[in-house]
Amino acid sequence: MCAALNEKPGADVLPVSSGASALLNGRYLPPPEDGDGKLWIRTSVIIQAEAGELHGMWSDVESAPQWQEAIEAVTKTGERTSHWVMKFGDKTIEWDSEVLADEPGKRIAWRSIGGASENAGEVMFEEAPGGRGTMVTVLQEFRMGKLASAWETLVGRNPKQAIIENLRHFKALAETGEIPRSQQSPAGPRGWIGGIKRSLYGEKIATPEGTNQPLTQS
Amino acid sequence: MKAVCWMGTSKIETLTVPDPELLNPRDAIIKITRTAICGSDLHLYDGFIPTMEAGDIMGHEFMGLVEEVGPGVKNLKRGDRVVIPFTIACGNCLFCKKKLWSACDNSNPNAHLMEKAYGYSGSGLFGYSHMMGGYAGGQAQYVRVPFADVGPLKIESDLPDEKVLFLSDIFPTGYMAAENAQIQPGDTVAVWGCGPVGQFAIASAFMLGAARVIAIDRLPERLELARSYGAITVDYSEDDVKVLTALKDLTGGVGPDACIDAVGMEAHMGDLQGLYDTVKVALMMETDRAGVLRQAIQAVRKGGTLSVPGVYGGLLDKVPFGAAFGKGITMKMGQTNMHNYMQPLLERIEKGQIDPSSIISHRISLDEAPEMYKIWRDKKENVTKIVIDPWKERSAS
Repeated sequence: MCAALNEKPGADVLPVSSGASALLNGRYLPPPEDGDGKLWIRTSVIIQAEAGELHGMWSDVESAPQWQEAIEAVTKTGERTSHWVMKFGDKTIEWDSEVLADEPGKRIAWRSIGGASENAGEVMFEEAPGGRGTMVTVLQEFRMGKLASAWETLVGRNPKQAIIENLRHFKALAETGEIPRSQQSPAGPRGWIGGIKRSLYGEKIATPEGTNQPLTQS
Repeated sequence: MKAVCWMGTSKIETLTVPDPELLNPRDAIIKITRTAICGSDLHLYDGFIPTMEAGDIMGHEFMGLVEEVGPGVKNLKRGDRVVIPFTIACGNCLFCKKKLWSACDNSNPNAHLMEKAYGYSGSGLFGYSHMMGGYAGGQAQYVRVPFADVGPLKIESDLPDEKVLFLSDIFPTGYMAAENAQIQPGDTVAVWGCGPVGQFAIASAFMLGAARVIAIDRLPERLELARSYGAITVDYSEDDVKVLTALKDLTGGVGPDACIDAVGMEAHMGDLQGLYDTVKVALMMETDRAGVLRQAIQAVRKGGTLSVPGVYGGLLDKVPFGAAFGKGITMKMGQTNMHNYMQPLLERIEKGQIDPSSIISHRISLDEAPEMYKIWRDKKENVTKIVIDPWKERSAS
């Protein structure tokens, strides 16, 4: 299962079926179960945009901070590699990532190659049944480690939910050109019980910018 | 600016708060000229809706003048007069494209909270709890409107604010209730609850061809208003009045072709940790109040339709599903797909087919809002609808 996550860069033969897929030979395939210190999350959305366009948006890793929570900066370090910086409060976590497989308009697979995070993942893009947009499915694997624990305690978001939220942000950005956010609720300070609820509601995590467009008056 | 803030159960205060700002390219800031208190705001006032925080700005029925627009809003300019729909919709997602605007995928920043309770999240709403998006509401002097290139309805004519204000929620909500009732010409329609939504459902049922509308409530001022819209009324609080018998008597024993439950359960449900008790209390209230739905299922004729604009939030107890199946009834419900109705209903107002301002009983300032919440909740002073002028000083009385 999830052969794509173990692919080697530059492999000549790519696996026939995608690791993230919920289907294998016409049968539903449940997501991998957590175990051996690994967490798995699979999530999907339907986006009203072309698969090629979405693949391009996902491949542009240096723009990931626009839609991925707590990602401070991503720098391309090679054709297949990039350096990721995640920040919350004054804590910073960094790691390198490499692309394992990349089929334009179809899928991208990656894994971390050192640094504070051990993760691997795949995103696939396929036409939704009935041509109702592009179905985007993400399968992500984490090792419970510094990343997960720091994420949970500081960001107040469990890492599985973070993947779900990031895909939601990706969809909103692709469809609407922005990521929804609210303000002035409440209008004043929240107090400490309010602060706990703020974590619970997921409102403690800064919504990614979504765009670099300035909000000047037109 | 001044704003009406929720400060806890049965605690509303008018406070001075920071002005809203543009946050996204498709935002607009609206200077509010008229706003209203909705019956559903009373659910917040009574503390039935989880994920409200002290200081949240109330209000989802409002209109005003465009003050400022983001770079993504090309169809509005400063000074335009607009009515804002209470459901926020992006216009781009699968659901908006299907015209199911209140199911928008992209307008609730806190969609994960709704997903836990409902499986999927509906659209964001103004001033209606954090699980509905945490958007600041419009019982204020200014408001930020997201996706302002999609929702706001421009008012080009010189109709006064009060005639078009209710295009923001209750008129389309009443109209969609009548549309969901699948009314055929000559039908008899029964409407439970003669608050503002019920009144507009009555008026809309006639617009869609109903021959007779039967309105059910207990408050004299509401029943009188219903009669003014052409309904015949049943006061269920009177001795010897049994609603099911009354509906049989008034339909030759057949039952109404369509029943509209404009009462609802008065509570939403969420399954958040730490809010368990709130939810539990809310659910018990709901269970107590399933009466209208049960009665409507009993009352509707064989093969008839049940339309539910009243708000339900959680799990219902003892729903007579056998009766629903046995009679082969259709049920339609949900938050209003506002954007489908605003323009056509504006045209009806412009043609003089209806004057929505006739339901207004009270006109107040922002400072008077806290006491009016209490008066309305307690059903005093014959309140039918409260409209706020956010720029008016507290009246001398």
